[in-house]
Amino acid sequence: MIDTYKRLMNVEPPPPAKKPRGFFTDTSLCIGCKACEVACKQWNRLPADGFAMTGNSYDNTGSLGATTWRHVQFIEQAKANSSRQDQRWLMMSDVCKHCANAACLEACPTGALIRTEYDTVYVQQDICNGCGFCVPACPFGVIDRAPKHGQFEPGTAHKCTLCYDRLKDDMTPACAKSCPTASIQFGDVEELQQRARRRLAELKARGETKAELYGMPEGKEAAEVGPLHAFFLLLDRPQTYNLPELPRLPRKTMAQRYGWSAAVGVGFALVGALVFGRRR
Amino acid sequence: MSRGYYDYPVVRRPVWTWEVPAYFWLGGMAAGAYVTASLAQTFGSPDDRRAAAGGYYVAAAALVPCAPLLIADLGRPDRFHHMLRIFKPLSPMNLGAWTLTGFTPIAFARAASHAAGTGLLRGPLGALSRLVPTRLAELAGCVLGLTLAGYSGVLLAATNIPLWAKSKLLGGLFMASALASGSAAVTLQAARRGAPDTTLHRLAMLESAASAGEIAVLAGYLVQSGRTARPLTRGRFAAPFWLGAVGAGAVVPFVLHRLAARRRGRALQSLSTVAGLCTIAGSLALRWSIFEAGKISSEDQGASFELSSD
Ligand code: SF4
Ligand code: SF4
Repeated sequence: MIDTYKRLMNVEPPPPAKKPRGFFTDTSLCIGCKACEVACKQWNRLPADGFAMTGNSYDNTGSLGATTWRHVQFIEQAKANSSRQDQRWLMMSDVCKHCANAACLEACPTGALIRTEYDTVYVQQDICNGCGFCVPACPFGVIDRAPKHGQFEPGTAHKCTLCYDRLKDDMTPACAKSCPTASIQFGDVEELQQRARRRLAELKARGETKAELYGMPEGKEAAEVGPLHAFFLLLDRPQTYNLPELPRLPRKTMAQRYGWSAAVGVGFALVGALVFGRRR
Repeated sequence: MSRGYYDYPVVRRPVWTWEVPAYFWLGGMAAGAYVTASLAQTFGSPDDRRAAAGGYYVAAAALVPCAPLLIADLGRPDRFHHMLRIFKPLSPMNLGAWTLTGFTPIAFARAASHAAGTGLLRGPLGALSRLVPTRLAELAGCVLGLTLAGYSGVLLAATNIPLWAKSKLLGGLFMASALASGSAAVTLQAARRGAPDTTLHRLAMLESAASAGEIAVLAGYLVQSGRTARPLTRGRFAAPFWLGAVGAGAVVPFVLHRLAARRRGRALQSLSTVAGLCTIAGSLALRWSIFEAGKISSEDQGASFELSSD
C-alpha cells in the first residue's frame, strides 16, 4: 500500500547522503567589504532592500531577512581616553546557522523545510504555504516570510540555502567564493571545525584573549540546537554580535507545556462531572 | 543598557495578523462549548441535557469561520492543503490543522444529530443524522476539542518570542480561557431559552470554576514571565489586558456567578447572560492582547537575551 502511495504521489527516494557541508566564518579576518552580501544577492537573484541609512556604523543592511541571506555587522568599540589597542572595529558576516537541530525545520507543518543530503536546512519553495511558524521559531532571527503582495516569491519563507544549487554542481557557495580575505570558509564541517580550533589557538597565542568559537559541538550554545553547521570565530562575547548565549530549541519544553494545558482540561472535565452529577 | 548589537532585535517579528487570535478565540470557544455540552449529556439530569445540547449548535457555528481564518493568514492560501500532506504532531501547527480537520465534521455531525432528535432536521438528512453514534461522537469530539483548545497557547509558546515562551503556562491559560468562554456560550443559549434554575445554577458553578482556574493560571503566567510580561501589562495593551482579559474575562463573571448562585428565575437568567457575554469578550481580549504584545516583545533585545541565558 505504501508503495502504491509513493507511486501515486511521485515520492522519489532522497539523494544519497553526502559529507555535511558548512561555513566557518572567521570574523577576525573580516574587513567589512560586503562582497558576500552582494554575491549572495546576485547569485540568488534577491532584490535590493532600498537605500535606508541606519546611522549605525557602516551597517545599512540591518538584519537578515527574506531577501537578505548574508548580513555584515559593524561593531565600533571605541572608548574615550583609552589606548589604541582598546579601540576595535569588529566586523562579522552573519548567516543562517544551518543548525543540527533546527527550530525552523521542526516547526514547519508542511514539510517544506527539509534537511538536505549535505546536512543543511533548506526551504522547498513549491511546498511552503507561508504559514509563518518558522519565523518566530528560529532562535537567531534568520528566516522570514516574503511580503504577501510583494514582487519576490510572495508569501513564502526564505533564508540562506547554502547555495544548494551550487553544491549540487560541486561549487563553492557564492559568498565564500567572493570573500577576499577567507573570512568565510566553506567545506566539510568536520574539517572546518579542526581548522577553527587551530585558528583559535593561534589567535590566543597572539594575545587575542577574548576570541572564542561559537557553534562548535563542545560549546554550551550547542546544548539545544546542536552544533551549528555555519559557525563563527568571534572576538567578543556572542551577545556583542546579537547571538544568544544559549539558543533555545522550542521542542525541549513542549511536553511540559502540553502537560499544563492537559491538566487544565482534565480539571475542567472533573469539575463538570461533579457539578452535573450531583443528585439532589 | 544595551549589551547586544545596537538595539537590534535578536528574533524576528511574527508575521501573523488578526486572523490568528480570532481563530484561537472561536476555535477555543467551540471546543469549550462542545466539551460542556458533552459533560452535561454524560453526567447531567434530563433537564441539564436538554438545556446544554444547544452547545452543539454553538460549537458548530463557531467552527464555521475557523478554517477560513486559518487559511486567510497563510502567505499562500492556495496551498493550505499542504498542511495535511504530512502528519507531524511535533509541529503544533500541523497538529492543530489535523485536529481542526477532525473536530469540525464531528461537531457538525453531533449538532445535526441533536437537530434530528428535536425534530428540527427532518427528511433524509434527518434520518441520516439519527445514525450518528452520539456517545462515540461525544467522546472523540471531547478529545479532539480539548486538543484544539489546548494546542493554541502551546503553538505560540513553541517559538522564541519572550512573552510567549518564557512561562510554561500559556497553553494552560488559553485552555482555561477556551473552556470558560465555551461554557459561557452554552449558558448564554440556555438562559435565552429559559432553562430551569437548577441547570443554570450548575452551569454557573462550572463557569465560575473555569474563571477561577483562569485567574490562577494567569497569575502563574505573569509571575513566571516577570519583566518579560511588560509589553502586555504596561503601555498600549495594558487596557485590553487588565480591563478586558482580566476584568471582564475572569473577575467580573466570577463575581456575577457568585451572586447568581442565590438568585432564581429572571434575575438568574440576566446575571448568567451578562456574565457569559463578559467571559466571551474577555476571552477575545486575552488572545488578542497576548498575541499583539508578542510582536512588541519580539523587538525586546534584553528579554531575548534573558530568555536564552536561563
Ligand atoms: S539559524 Fe534559524 S533559520 Fe537557520 S537553520 Fe537554524 S533555526 Fe533554521
Ligand atoms: S512558512 Fe513555509 S517553511 Fe515556514 S514553517 Fe510555514 S510552511 Fe514551513
